[in-house]
Amino acid sequence: MSERKGIGEGGKTLKQMMEENERLYRETGCYAGITEPHLLREDPVKSELFHSRIMASLMAGRETTRMISASPFVREVAELCLGFYTADGASIAQSTGIQAHIMPMGECIQWMIKQSYEQDVGINEGDLFIANDPVIAGMHPADVYDILPIFWEGELVGWVCTVIMEMDIGAVSPGCMPTANAERGSDGLRFCCEKWGANDLLRRDFELKIELSLDMADMFLLNRKGAIAANIRVREEVKNIIREFGLDYYKRATRELIEEERRNQLARVRQRTVPGRYRDVVPVELDMAKQPISWLPANQDTIRLIPIQTDILPSGRLVLDFEGTGEWGWHPFNGTPTGLRGCFSTVLTQTISYDGRSNLGTLLACEIKEPAVDSLLNPSEIKRLATADPWAAIFDLFGLWQSMLGIAYYLRGFREETFNWRSGAGWQMAGYDALGTKRPLLAAETGAFGPGATGVGDGCDGGGWIATQLVDMGNAEVWELFVPQLEMTRRFEPYSTGYGKFRSGVALASVMLLHRITQTVASGAIGTASDGIIPNLGQFGGYPGGKRNTLLVRYDNLQELIENRQPLLHELGHPAEWKDRIQGQVTNVGLIPPSIPVYDGDVLVTDTTSAGGLGDPIEREPRRIKADLDEGFATDWMARNIYCVDVIFNEMTEEWQIDEAATSKLREAKRKERLSRGVPVEQWWQKSRQRLMERNLDGKILEMYQSSMRLSEAFTQEFKDFWALPDDFNL
Amino acid sequence: MPYSKEDLRDLYDGRLPWHKTFEIMSKPKDDDRFDKYVEILQERVPWLERILLPLGEHLYVVDKAGERIVKCDCGHEFGDWRQNWKLNALIFARDDTEKLEEIYPGLKCPDPNLCEVREFYCPGCGSLLKVEAVPVGYPIIFDALPDIDSFYREWLGRPLPDEKEFRDMTYQVTREWVRDIA
Repeated sequence: MSERKGIGEGGKTLKQMMEENERLYRETGCYAGITEPHLLREDPVKSELFHSRIMASLMAGRETTRMISASPFVREVAELCLGFYTADGASIAQSTGIQAHIMPMGECIQWMIKQSYEQDVGINEGDLFIANDPVIAGMHPADVYDILPIFWEGELVGWVCTVIMEMDIGAVSPGCMPTANAERGSDGLRFCCEKWGANDLLRRDFELKIELSLDMADMFLLNRKGAIAANIRVREEVKNIIREFGLDYYKRATRELIEEERRNQLARVRQRTVPGRYRDVVPVELDMAKQPISWLPANQDTIRLIPIQTDILPSGRLVLDFEGTGEWGWHPFNGTPTGLRGCFSTVLTQTISYDGRSNLGTLLACEIKEPAVDSLLNPSEIKRLATADPWAAIFDLFGLWQSMLGIAYYLRGFREETFNWRSGAGWQMAGYDALGTKRPLLAAETGAFGPGATGVGDGCDGGGWIATQLVDMGNAEVWELFVPQLEMTRRFEPYSTGYGKFRSGVALASVMLLHRITQTVASGAIGTASDGIIPNLGQFGGYPGGKRNTLLVRYDNLQELIENRQPLLHELGHPAEWKDRIQGQVTNVGLIPPSIPVYDGDVLVTDTTSAGGLGDPIEREPRRIKADLDEGFATDWMARNIYCVDVIFNEMTEEWQIDEAATSKLREAKRKERLSRGVPVEQWWQKSRQRLMERNLDGKILEMYQSSMRLSEAFTQEFKDFWALPDDFNL
Repeated sequence: MPYSKEDLRDLYDGRLPWHKTFEIMSKPKDDDRFDKYVEILQERVPWLERILLPLGEHLYVVDKAGERIVKCDCGHEFGDWRQNWKLNALIFARDDTEKLEEIYPGLKCPDPNLCEVREFYCPGCGSLLKVEAVPVGYPIIFDALPDIDSFYREWLGRPLPDEKEFRDMTYQVTREWVRDIA
């Protein structure tokens, strides 16, 4: 049977085009076999204009969506992003926004091509496709992809995709990123690149399905209309570009943009880093024992290790290896190789490839070694698993990876690029809102954190959210319309700091008073990899920020306080004493708490923390500590105990004063204390080794090591080598 | 574009005005940065060995009579750069609540059953060189093992004499330690 004529270039099928490009890359090491890119270089002004027009269309599309959508995720936080792709799904350009999805959206296009959509489903001008299934590609089901093909005179010449995070995807309560979630059915709606519209219009039966399936169907459908409008806007502008520049230029230039970026990424690494091997580890605590889940194998608390090794090769290639990662489990926190690629690309785009030209070429210059099958990052049972919250592992993983790259920058002298980051903590809920409608309730401010120090100064206060460059959590008043809570405060929390010569940015703690709610439950949300073990984010003598917390405060005297116009909780104060200021019940519910009932008048506190400080804290300039004290970014407890600075508050001038002479003595004494407290590592090693030999470790820690050892001989061998354990010894 | 050594000194000391710091962060990177960086650091240390590569806030890989060793700016030497320098430091392990709460009071304190916060000090000057927060029992992390010869040969275009094999030699140390026990 002869093959039918394809919709790709020169009558090829999209599958043929994709396979040919893959073969050319294998054979030449260059994207699409472009060994000598010349078109963009021949006329740089023309090529800049070409690229700028594409970027402008993507940004305009993004803003179009924000005007149509009603969801505060889109309007207030801009939890969306647009990507533009070649006919066979290679990323050419991307807007700002949640860029983790740029690579997965391309992988969805390639999945459709591999599944022979061209023949079996049909791909036509004006067809609308929808996807949110991480088994194919993606992060989690709340992030929904709208995909539109671009045709020119009957030939498919590209794709445009928009991702939007949904407040409601029909998942099990509470929230759209539930933690009481182990099996795929509890994820809510999952779309496997389905065709849900034609001729640029949503199908009515699809709209009816959404209306029947979701509590917030109106938000979901308006988001789709926003995404369709954005995609159409980009498609029409791409047609204008083709009209203006010509089809041949368009095809060659879009491919050269990818190959140029691949080369630029290698050059950037060679210019800014030092080749070698860099290592670190992320422990992920997965508290599921108390989650109300009927699938009983899920009910256990586990910890999993993710060791990270980054090799920077002399070629400039970055190679990531997660050898030693522990096993997957029945919980929604498992990662996937596609999720890793997505998160890796967003980190690269925001920290090294930040000139607006990041695309598939950035990732082609890197390699992520496939994590072991059945590890936390590559579960063979992924089709059966819930996938609501892979962030728990992946956020902290790439925050720490940024630390490793930061060391490489530091060694080369580009200390201003050294920094790291960390995920946030927060609450999500489900219940009846202030207007009497039952629905998931999640405020997006939960993603915030304090970024790590740089090598040349303090981290940006309250300035971090790696999911998007646009760190804007929006208007509190708007969120109050969607979540039945009164935002009491978003306040800089001094004790969130990672201390150091240069300190981390200070994180914002938020306090919310629940208001006009009924039948509501709450749980933790987002990248809460838990902090029984704090992440290893201290840089060159700086400390990582401490533990994150989600706190429930139930006043005994709320009405009395309000009637007497007395203050409610607005700041936490000293972390060991804050509870003393409250008359009532205070519960620290942990970071992945099971659902608990909450009531009108309850106060929810998100005690987010910061990434890492850099350098020895007793080398911090006293002038910086005075400034922090005067601004409320530090306390006298920190000044004396962490920074060894003698301070006194001048009541007359209402500012802090430093006693320089007393400070010098305090710091000298601290050095002496260290030399007397510190022991040779050999002495500590022998004691710790003995403890290991006796298996005198917490049961969860023992099981964590056993899990990694079950999957990795290399990890087992290195562990035994470091501790010089007998070959026949097993933990 | 190149920057003056004065500006780079101020940058590293955190004293450069923000608008200039931001300019350095956002503009294309300067190709001569490494050489100026090493010159600035070399001027600041009290010893004469050539700095081959900075390794941290106080640490450097230096050329000492043809050997490449890790050295603190106070003069303390940590041995071959291919062995994790931390093994030749002093350690203070925060492994119980009391020790952890000196830094992380109350709510901020990790679980000492799960987490150990290790502080590595220079035996010469008492500087805090690295804080390592890891699960109890996790091997000391070898943060950075730079491939110095490839760097000089292939990226800087001026190979170093006496090239050394690029490999992790840390376990030689722990093998010696276990012999001490035996």
